[in-house]
Amino acid sequence: MAHPSFLGSPAARASCLDLWKEKNDRLVRQAKVAQDSGLSPRRQQLVQDTLEGLRELLHTLHGLPAAVPVLPLELTVTCNFIILKVSLAQGFTEDQAQDIQRGLERVLETQEQLGPRLEQGIRKLWESVLHASSLLLELLPVLHHLAGLQAALWLSTDCLEDLTLLLQTLNGNQNGTSKDLLLLLKTWNPPALESDAPLTLQDARGLRDVLLTAFAYRQGLQELISGSLPRALSSLHEAASGLCPRPLLVQVYTALGSCLRKMGNPQRALLYLIAALKGGSSYGPPLLEASRLYRQLGDTAAELESLELLVKALSATHTSEVPQLIIEVELLLPQPDPASPLYCGTQSQAKHLLASRCLQMGRAEDAAEHYLDLLALLLDGSDPRFCPPPCPPGPCMPEVFLEAAAALIQAGRAQDALTVCEELLTRTSSLLPKISQLWGDARKGTKKLPSCPLWVSAVYLLQGWAWVQLRTPKEAISKFSRCLELLFWAIPEDKEQGTASKCEQGCRSDVALQQLRAAALISRGLEWAASGQDTKALQDFLLSVQMCPGNRDASFHLLQTLRRLDRRDEATAVCWRLQAQTQLPQEETTWSLPLYLEIYLSWIHSPDCETLLEEFQTSLLEPHDL
Amino acid sequence: MAGDAPRVHYLAGFSCPLGGLEAGKPRVLCHEAEVFLSTGSEFVYVYDQEGGLLTAVYRFPGQVWHLQLLAPHRALYVLCARRGIYCLSLDTPSRSVSQANKDSEDGELPYPVIPVDPDACVLPDATLCAFTVLDDMLVTLAQGPTQWKMQLFERPCLGEDPQPGQVGEVELSTYTPHPGIPGKPTAPCFLPVLCCVSLPGSRAPHGHPQGRGTFTLEEALFGLLFGADATLLESPVILCGLPDGQLSCVVLRALVTSRSAPGNPKALVRILHHLEEPVIFIGALKTEPQAEEAVESELPSEEVHSDCLVALGHDGRMLAIKASWDESGNLVPELQEYCLPGPVLCAACGGGSRIYHSTPLDLCVVDLAQGSTPLDPQQPNRAPGGLPPTLCPASLSICSVLTVSVSPRAPAGETMLLALSAKGRLMTCSLSCKTPGPTRMTAASADRKIKELLSGIGDVSERVSFLKKAVDQRNKALTSLNEAMNLSCALLSSRQGPRPISCTTTTSWSRLPLQDVLTATCLLENSGDFSLDRGWTLCIQVLTSSSALDLDAAGSAVSYTIPVDRLGPGSQREVTLPLGPTESGVLDLPVTVSCALFYSLREVVGGALAPSDPLEDPFLEEHALDLLPEQEGICLPLSRHTVDMLQCLRFPGLASPHAQAPSLLSPACDPVDTFLETCRVPSREPAGLASLRAKYLPPPVASVQVSAELLRMALEDARSGVPLCSATLRWLLAENAAVDTVKAQTLSSIQGVAPSGTDIHLIIHEVTVTDLCPAGPIQAVEIQVESSSLADMCRAHHAIVGRMQAMVREQAAQNSSPPDLRMQYLRQIHANHEVLLREVQALRDRLCTEDEASSCATAQRLLQVYKQLRSPSLVLL
Repeated sequence: MAHPSFLGSPAARASCLDLWKEKNDRLVRQAKVAQDSGLSPRRQQLVQDTLEGLRELLHTLHGLPAAVPVLPLELTVTCNFIILKVSLAQGFTEDQAQDIQRGLERVLETQEQLGPRLEQGIRKLWESVLHASSLLLELLPVLHHLAGLQAALWLSTDCLEDLTLLLQTLNGNQNGTSKDLLLLLKTWNPPALESDAPLTLQDARGLRDVLLTAFAYRQGLQELISGSLPRALSSLHEAASGLCPRPLLVQVYTALGSCLRKMGNPQRALLYLIAALKGGSSYGPPLLEASRLYRQLGDTAAELESLELLVKALSATHTSEVPQLIIEVELLLPQPDPASPLYCGTQSQAKHLLASRCLQMGRAEDAAEHYLDLLALLLDGSDPRFCPPPCPPGPCMPEVFLEAAAALIQAGRAQDALTVCEELLTRTSSLLPKISQLWGDARKGTKKLPSCPLWVSAVYLLQGWAWVQLRTPKEAISKFSRCLELLFWAIPEDKEQGTASKCEQGCRSDVALQQLRAAALISRGLEWAASGQDTKALQDFLLSVQMCPGNRDASFHLLQTLRRLDRRDEATAVCWRLQAQTQLPQEETTWSLPLYLEIYLSWIHSPDCETLLEEFQTSLLEPHDL
Repeated sequence: MAGDAPRVHYLAGFSCPLGGLEAGKPRVLCHEAEVFLSTGSEFVYVYDQEGGLLTAVYRFPGQVWHLQLLAPHRALYVLCARRGIYCLSLDTPSRSVSQANKDSEDGELPYPVIPVDPDACVLPDATLCAFTVLDDMLVTLAQGPTQWKMQLFERPCLGEDPQPGQVGEVELSTYTPHPGIPGKPTAPCFLPVLCCVSLPGSRAPHGHPQGRGTFTLEEALFGLLFGADATLLESPVILCGLPDGQLSCVVLRALVTSRSAPGNPKALVRILHHLEEPVIFIGALKTEPQAEEAVESELPSEEVHSDCLVALGHDGRMLAIKASWDESGNLVPELQEYCLPGPVLCAACGGGSRIYHSTPLDLCVVDLAQGSTPLDPQQPNRAPGGLPPTLCPASLSICSVLTVSVSPRAPAGETMLLALSAKGRLMTCSLSCKTPGPTRMTAASADRKIKELLSGIGDVSERVSFLKKAVDQRNKALTSLNEAMNLSCALLSSRQGPRPISCTTTTSWSRLPLQDVLTATCLLENSGDFSLDRGWTLCIQVLTSSSALDLDAAGSAVSYTIPVDRLGPGSQREVTLPLGPTESGVLDLPVTVSCALFYSLREVVGGALAPSDPLEDPFLEEHALDLLPEQEGICLPLSRHTVDMLQCLRFPGLASPHAQAPSLLSPACDPVDTFLETCRVPSREPAGLASLRAKYLPPPVASVQVSAELLRMALEDARSGVPLCSATLRWLLAENAAVDTVKAQTLSSIQGVAPSGTDIHLIIHEVTVTDLCPAGPIQAVEIQVESSSLADMCRAHHAIVGRMQAMVREQAAQNSSPPDLRMQYLRQIHANHEVLLREVQALRDRLCTEDEASSCATAQRLLQVYKQLRSPSLVLL
């Protein structure tokens, strides 16, 4: 029943307006004080109070009918509220979209054209508001401010089409203007605020600069990942030349380095990486990128050195920085995903990378040491910050054990390798099928066979080779046999078995299973041959050739055994087949194999295979000629 | 089990709000002789079981949602809603609190209320909903804007840096935010449940299973659920039950993330199951009989390695998972879902194979051990070690327990539960594990027996009072509904005759400091024998007509709703509303005032549908109210009254002798101007422009002619010796506030003031119309309206025509025959008018399309045509 306006005279209205403006300015100053007072509960309280104050003020203003003289203040308060809320929550939510929409509706209310437009989307709302504001010049600066926030929201939610349209309208909406967002952002020139305007936490120009950098970097990174390198280079240059906080600059420089490396400019790439490292704050990504660069250049020493540095860099505890109470570039960037060249993972992942690279590059002693360090850290549990390499990108934990064992065997430390294998088996014993029951069922041969993870067989394989190295053929043969038994039962199943560890899926490829079987058969055959039981050896080699016809080592060992047994015809057939295989382009079979298996296969590979083959061929041909 | 007679002892009572405590938030846990308890309010109580008294009460700045005790460190971690996690040191209670402001106002309490110092907040975060604390780690679950977020911190201690080092974080799953006030977080109905599972013998220290928190699972089940990696690393695993029913797990040692390597939910979070109802409890049981090694080594109860994981949902769905081996020797999970009576308020398990769960009606116990239930005869060959196919809950006859925990202090062979009831009573309940044989009743046991019976009676009476309240409320709602129904029938059926409830509207001018305001007074009268009670509202809608000057603007409507709070038979209520004029002096007449009665179903029925018992399903309330939309109710129209110009006229010149003529304040005008105006009154000579206008611009005039015969018949009873002209005037002004003054004099013309302040002159005289009727001249009365404002003239004319129409309709109903008319003449007039109307239409159309300059001319022409239309060429007969 009260009359709508209690502000009878213009004088009261003006003084109220001043009062509210004063309150807004006080709250903004309070937020700035909080900003400077470091991270503490008091600061958090202060910021919360400021936010509440802004919310209250906004409620007061919304309680009155929208009026043009009050709107600049009201929209400024809205902007301040959104900025503080977003910087506190470190991200945009649906609430902010609603706040912006509310502001726009209030503008339209003064134009008395709200009715039918309520149903329209926010895009149409902006169109109407900007159309109306051409009549209301005093609203233009604050509308640009609000538009900056809308742009940030759309950039963070990837609504680039809407963003382009908005910027086109803001820039004067000439038809046929460029659709290039970067250009649009550059040409956008928000009008300057008047000196007596209410204070803001971050003005429209500041927002524009942040948007420009964030967009350039996002685009550059996307282009880098999708492979359009020259365009990525120019976008990233744009990002680096803009307003760029130091941690971000490190990322931009690293991305530039990655881009130049892929473009075949290693020297320039190196310059950028060095610049990134000088930038401080986060050393991880540039060091990882440097290791890739050296790997491409073939400089193994430098590559491993940068990986070692990477491990050290990642072990340093990162201090969480105090977030600024404005919208920062980082807020508008997507989370780095593993596909990004800037994803450097955790310390343990880096350590694993270092160890596996050492193993691949033939530095077995170093590799063994690194693997032992890694296992100690993982199993010790004293440092909670140390995390295992997660499954999907890297190998699963049992595979890390197997790689460690392989590295130890490679380094000539068979006893240690046996210990590692034993540790793996005891720790997972509860998960394995009940072996005793398994034997019984196998003898009866009636029941369904249990499925057994591949890595369990691989443990026995490596144990066998360790015994070979320790010159204990009996043990070795028994381990190889156990491995083979498990392998022949382990039929690769496509469907995931219950809740069993899903990391096995990576290893349970057909190729790996075949190669494992061949490797086990060859290893056992070699042991038989060494102990003079050539018939048994022949049997194993024959099986391995059947199992894996493409495996040249299997055929070669078969050939040698046949020659030793003096079975010339069969040997000749094998020989021809081998030769035919040599003519064919060598298949890349090892690409999908686990690292430990690759290393293992190198052990049973005879280096002098080619020469022996030629020698045999000549010896075969001689009798024919005669 | 059913033979277990529980022995209940009440320990203490705690303050609880009207209607009992709310489920979901209270916690109770026990360490040695101390009981730590929160009731969902801002207090945490420490109760000493040996001394039987409260030793301390801590007051937090907000509701307490969760407690956890880290016994080896003597630290109590408390989650305070919207604040964060606080840490209290139990050794030196004074260190964590500021001594200075020990409450003085609570002086009457026997124990000190200690306000917790803000510095005790070790992890400030307003979005936290759950946490669990391990020896060196703190795991929290925060409610993000759209997702649940699990965070891992190094365990913060008191007096350390307020921002503990964050080790990792991962987002769990999306959830639909609770509808509430946007921007304002609402208190969640159900809190998520977190607990930590570890491997036996792992180095990660655990083994303080106080309340919910941590437990140990045997290797096979652990590996099966969480995979080979977690088993190899011997990593603790965090199990998380969400209010949407999702049960997921996160391997703790894998949860190390940083800004450059954020947690990938796909790699880190594994969803174990979906209960499809809020998860209330996660626990672990030992279902297989204690192996001999446990017996021989006398393992303390906390080192039991559980072999069964259970999760319990709010509506009673329970999931149990065990590990077993299939025929070929593979390790496979055995899942079994059970349905327990719900809604479940809380649950607990204490190392054995039993799980205790509480519903509003009862505290029940179920046993998942083998052989605890008779085996299903259909499945005699069940594999040993399997889960029972069905469960039979055994009642413990304790109702409305909100939180329960298993006390470790129970003597051998017994289980002791600590429970908090909805009435805020803390009690212990002892159960013997074995069915006691018949024993001779000794004096002591008789004593105990009586005590038990008494406490049982206490329980039942608590329950009865709840139910009684609910029944009362529902009865009241039904009575109210019945009465509303009767009233509606009476009102809607009696179209003729006096209505039991009536509403009459009158208008009058009232003086306000700055301007006079026309007010409408609605009088709601109850003349029937019903009484209007709670739930009824009087809705008055004031609808202004559209302004004639603005072609497109629709009239505005203002609605007022006034709750009718008990209007008994014979009583009445008066409501006065301002009609205008507004600040700008505009009063768009005619104004229509419609009154209606509205009966809100939501208000009356909503209260009864809402469970009076807070322990009942909180969802029920929402659902029932959802059935009643916001606007649902009964609407009974009462009256409709049109306020026109004739009712709003004021006659300053007609003041009755005893009342001083009130000087009229023209609306919205400056008091100074008014003053000057009154000063100028003595000089009757209009000066300057006004006089010129008066001279050369005659005021617009409109008139209506009515046959005298018709008027005479209509006004027959009211006339009684008064000349027809003045009777007509009285009739026209019958609803005006000044009607009495008019009646006192015999007037045939009157000068009034319109709400906008312009003068309106009503002149009534008798005329003779000659050329209309072949029978001869007709005696008629001409009513002339004259005003300097065209708009006001139109409004007055409109009002008069309205009266005439009403009168003619009334007379026609009485079947009076009109005299013969000259049809030709009438037709001519009709044709003329049709032409004019067509022109009006054309002009109005043009007005819409034309620009300003030419529209002026059009408007001019339009006015002329209107004037012609209004010209008195016709007599009402």
